[in-house]
Amino acid sequence: MVKLSEKLRQPNYRIAVVSIFVGALLAYWKPYVLIEGIQRAGLYAAIALPMALLMGVVGIVNLAHGDFMMLGAYFAYWVSVYGGVDPLLAIVPALAFFFLFGCIVYLGPFKRILQAPELNQILLAFGLMIVLVQSANLLWTSRFIKISLPYVSASTTVGSLTFGTFEFVYVVAAVTVLVGLQLFLKKTTWGQAALAVGQNPRGAKVVGIDVDRTHLIIFSVSIAIIGAMGALFLARHSISPFIGFPFTLRAFCLIAMAGIGNLTAILWVSLVLGLSENFVLSFFGYAGWADLIYFVLIITVIMIKSRQRQVK
Amino acid sequence: MKKLSIILVAVGISCFFLISHALAQPKPIKLGTAIPTSTVIGQEMEKAMRLAIKELNKAGGALGRPIELVVVDDEMKPEKGAAAIEKLATLDKVDIFIGGMASGVHMAQIPILRKYKPVTVWLGAASHKCEQALEGCDWYFHLHTWDYEQGAQQRLGWEDISKKQSGMKIEKNFFAYEEGGFGAASFEAIKSVWMGEYKIVGESFKSAQVGGGDYRTLLRHAKDWKPDAFHWIGYEADAMPIMEQAKEINFSPPVFVGAPPMWPPKFAKEPLANAVCFYTAWSHSLKAPASIRFLEAYTKEYGQPPINYVGPLSYSNVYIAVEGIKRAGTLEKEALISALEKTKYESPLGDVITFKPSKVIKHQGNISMKISQYQNGQEHILWPLNLATTQIMYPLPSWEKR
Amino acid sequence: MKKWNFLLSALALAFVFFLPFCTSVYVLNVVGLILIQMTLALSWDLLLRSGQLSLGISGFFGLGVYTAALSCIHAKIHPLLGIFFGGLMGGLFALLIGVAVLHLRGMYFAIVTLALAEALRVIVRNVPTLSGGPEGMVLPSVIFHGDALKTYWLLLAWALLNIVISIFFEKSRIHFALTSIRNDEIVAESSGVDVFKYLVCIFVFSSSIQAVAGGMYAHIYGFISPESSFSFELVLLPIIMAVVGGVTTTWGPVVGAILLGSVAEILKVKIPYGHLLIYGIIIVIVVLFFPKGIMGTFKERMQTNK
Repeated sequence: MVKLSEKLRQPNYRIAVVSIFVGALLAYWKPYVLIEGIQRAGLYAAIALPMALLMGVVGIVNLAHGDFMMLGAYFAYWVSVYGGVDPLLAIVPALAFFFLFGCIVYLGPFKRILQAPELNQILLAFGLMIVLVQSANLLWTSRFIKISLPYVSASTTVGSLTFGTFEFVYVVAAVTVLVGLQLFLKKTTWGQAALAVGQNPRGAKVVGIDVDRTHLIIFSVSIAIIGAMGALFLARHSISPFIGFPFTLRAFCLIAMAGIGNLTAILWVSLVLGLSENFVLSFFGYAGWADLIYFVLIITVIMIKSRQRQVK
Repeated sequence: MKKLSIILVAVGISCFFLISHALAQPKPIKLGTAIPTSTVIGQEMEKAMRLAIKELNKAGGALGRPIELVVVDDEMKPEKGAAAIEKLATLDKVDIFIGGMASGVHMAQIPILRKYKPVTVWLGAASHKCEQALEGCDWYFHLHTWDYEQGAQQRLGWEDISKKQSGMKIEKNFFAYEEGGFGAASFEAIKSVWMGEYKIVGESFKSAQVGGGDYRTLLRHAKDWKPDAFHWIGYEADAMPIMEQAKEINFSPPVFVGAPPMWPPKFAKEPLANAVCFYTAWSHSLKAPASIRFLEAYTKEYGQPPINYVGPLSYSNVYIAVEGIKRAGTLEKEALISALEKTKYESPLGDVITFKPSKVIKHQGNISMKISQYQNGQEHILWPLNLATTQIMYPLPSWEKR
Repeated sequence: MKKWNFLLSALALAFVFFLPFCTSVYVLNVVGLILIQMTLALSWDLLLRSGQLSLGISGFFGLGVYTAALSCIHAKIHPLLGIFFGGLMGGLFALLIGVAVLHLRGMYFAIVTLALAEALRVIVRNVPTLSGGPEGMVLPSVIFHGDALKTYWLLLAWALLNIVISIFFEKSRIHFALTSIRNDEIVAESSGVDVFKYLVCIFVFSSSIQAVAGGMYAHIYGFISPESSFSFELVLLPIIMAVVGGVTTTWGPVVGAILLGSVAEILKVKIPYGHLLIYGIIIVIVVLFFPKGIMGTFKERMQTNK
C-alpha cells in the first residue's frame, strides 16, 4: 500500500492533482475558459504533434510545417468544390496525397541537407516555406476562403452554459493522433526503428536499421498528418496562403516547452496554453495581453526545465 | 585567389549597376503609384487605374501626350513604401502621385513626400494619424474618408435610419476591433466622435488574418452587456468565423455591423450573412449612371466585376488627377494645385467629388461611406437616404431560422 | 597575395565612396537598407561564433527603435544621441536577460530569445500613451532632414565600423575563446575558459549593435510601430543573409547581404508578380548546393586549389 504522501512526491502525480484542482476551480468560476481552453488546446496539440514527431526522430525543425497544413486546407477545399462533398471527407485522400508529397519533399531537398549543420536545415525549411506560400499565392491569390458548413456553428446548452460543440473535434483529433503515434512507435517495426533512430542514430545504424528509410517514413507521416489536419482546419477557419506561419511558430514553442521527444507532454502543454490564453481573454480589457501570457509561459517553462536539468 | 576575388567584386559592382540600369526609363505624362501588387486589393487598384488610363488615352490623353502608369510594389511594408516613393520621385520622375492604400505604410511615406512636395492625389490611408503628419502640405489631395469622418458619417447614418425604423434604438454600442493599427486607430476615431451621446464599449481581438480567429470570449462579453448594436472592425478573414461563433454562443444583437475593408466573395449568399450591416463607398446595386457605366466597362475589360469600392475609387483617382492636368493646361505645380482645387468629378461611387478642408489638411475629398445591409442574398444600401434602395431589416433574425 | 588584398579593398572602398555620385537617391535608399540588414547579419553572426543561435534580433532592434525615437520626441535631443541611447538600452537589456538566459543551449536559447522579442512587441503595443500603441507614431523630423547623401554616409560608416570590428574580432583572444566554446564547451570550460562571462559579453555586444541599427532605422524612416519595428522579418532576413553568405566569417554576412538584398530588389522590379517565389527557390538552391555559404565554398575551393 503506497501512502498518498509518497505518491505525491512523484512529479506526475503532483501535476495530476494540481490539474484536477485547477480544472475544478475553473469549472466553477469560469466554465467557458475551461471548455474553450480545452478546445483550443486540441487544435494546438493536433498541429504540434506531427512536428514534434519529426523533430524528435529526424531532428529537423520543419519551419514549413504550418504551410503544409495550409496546402492541406486548400486541398480539402478543392476536393469539396470539385467533388461536391464535405471537406472533412477529404481527410483520407489528404493523408495519402500528403504522404506522397512528403516523400517527394524528403527525397528531393531534405535528404541532402541532413548532413549539413542544423542551421542549414532550418534555412532550407524556411526557403521551402517561401516557395510553398508564394506558389499558393500565385495560384489562388491572397484572398481568404471560407467554407460554410452548417454543423460548424452547432452548439449545445447545458444548464446555463451555451457553447460550441464542433471544436471538440480538434480535441478528438489531438488525442487520436497522439494515441495513433504512440501505437505506431511502440508496436510497429517501423515505429520502433524510428524510436531507436531518434534516440541514437549512429547506434541504430550499427544495429542494422535503415536510418534513411526510417527518416523517409517519419517525414512523410508527419507531412501526411499535418496535411490531413488542413481539412479540419478549413472547416472552422478562413484560409489564405499566409495562415500557416503563426501556427508553425506556436507548434515550435509548444515542442520546446514539452521537451523534444516527449509527445504526451505536448497535450499537457497545449492545455496549459489554451487555458491561460482564454483565462486572460476572459478579463475584459486585457485581450491585448493574452499574447504576453503565451510568451511568459514559454520562457518560464523552459527556464524551470533547464534548472531542473542543471540540478540533476 | 585573385581570379575568384575579382569575380566576386565584379559581381558585386554589377549588381549595383544592374539595379540602376534596370530602372532608368523616362516617358510621357506619368502617374506614379505605390500599391501592394502581391495582394488582391493592390491588383484591383491597378486594374481599375489601367482601365481609366486606357479610356483617357483613347480620348487623346492630356496636353497632347499619352498617359502612363508607373507602379511600384510597396509590399505592405513602411520602408518599402517609402522606398517606392523615392524611386517614383527620383528615378521615374513621375509628374503626379496617386494611389496608395494602407495607413501604416503611408505614415512612412509622408516624410518622403514632404521632402519632394510633389502634387499628390492620394487614394488610401484613413488613419487620423496620417492626417496629423500632413500639416501644411498644400500640394496634397486626399480621397479616402478619414476614420473620424467615417465615424461621424456612421453616427449620422444610424441616427437617420433609427428615426425611420420604429422601435429601433442605438444607444448602447459594442465595438470589437482587431488589435493592430487598423482596428485600434478606427476605434479611437469612432470613440472620439460617438462619445457623450452614446454608450460605447470596445474590446480588441486578434484577427484571423494574423493567426487569431477566436472571438467567443469577446462575443460573450458583448452578449452580457446587451448592446443595441454590435460592430466589429477587422479583416475579410474574420467575416464568416465571427458570424459562426456568434451563432454558436447564441448572441444576436438587434443590429450586427461588420466593417472590414472587404468581404469574402459570395458572402451575401450565406444564410449567416442575412441582415448583417456594413459600410462601403460603393456597391453593385448603386443606381447612379456613372456607377453603372463603370461597372459595365470594368466587367467587359476584365471579365468579372470589381470586388469592392477600391476599384471605382482608383478609377476616380486617375480621372481626377488627369482632369486636373487638363484643366490646368500645364504640369506646373501651382497651376495644377489650383486646377485640382476646382475638381467636380461625378464618380462611380455615387458622389460628386470636390475638395474641402478637413481637420488638418486643405484638400479632402467628400466620399460618403454608405451604410448597407445584406438582405436575402442581395446587397442593399440603407443610407444616405437619397441613394437608399430599401429599408433596414430589423432586428437581426434569430439564428435558429437559418 | 597581400598586395592583391589591399588593391581589392581599395577598389571596393572607392566604389562605395563614389556610388552616391553616380546613382539615384533610390539606389542609395536600397543600399541603405541593405547596409542596415548587413549589420544585423554581422552582429547575429558574432553571437553565432560562440555557438548560440539567437532569434531575438527583432527584440533588440525594436528596443533601439523605440528608445531612440521616444528619447528624441520627449527629451528633444539630437537624433544621433538618441541612437546612442538606443544602443545603450539594448546593451543593458541584453545584460539583464543574458545573465538569466545564457545557460540555455541550442533550440531552447533560440526559443527564449524569440519569446522575449515577441513579448516586447506585445508590451510596446499595449502601452499606447507611451509608445503610440498599435498604430505607431510618426517622428516630427527625419535625421539630416532627409538628406539622402548624409544618411548614406552614416549608414556606410556604421557598416564599415561593423566590418572592421568583426575583422579585429576574428583575430582577438575573445574569438579563440568563443570558437573553442562553440566547438566543445566542456573542453573549453576545463581549459579554464569562463564560458558564461564570454557569452554574456558577446551577447551584450551583439545586441547593442542591433539596437543601434534600430535607432538609425527609426530616425531615417521617421515612422515607428510595433508591427514594423519588431517584425519577424528582422530575424529571418539577416539570418538568411548570413547563412547564404557563410556563417562565422566576416565576409559571409557582408556578401550575403549585398547579394540577397540586390537580388530581391532586382527581382521585384523585373518580375512584379512572383518575385518572392523566385527568391525562395534561390534560397533553397543556395542552401542545397553551397552548404558552407558562398564565401565558405569559395574558401574551400581556394584551399583545394592550392
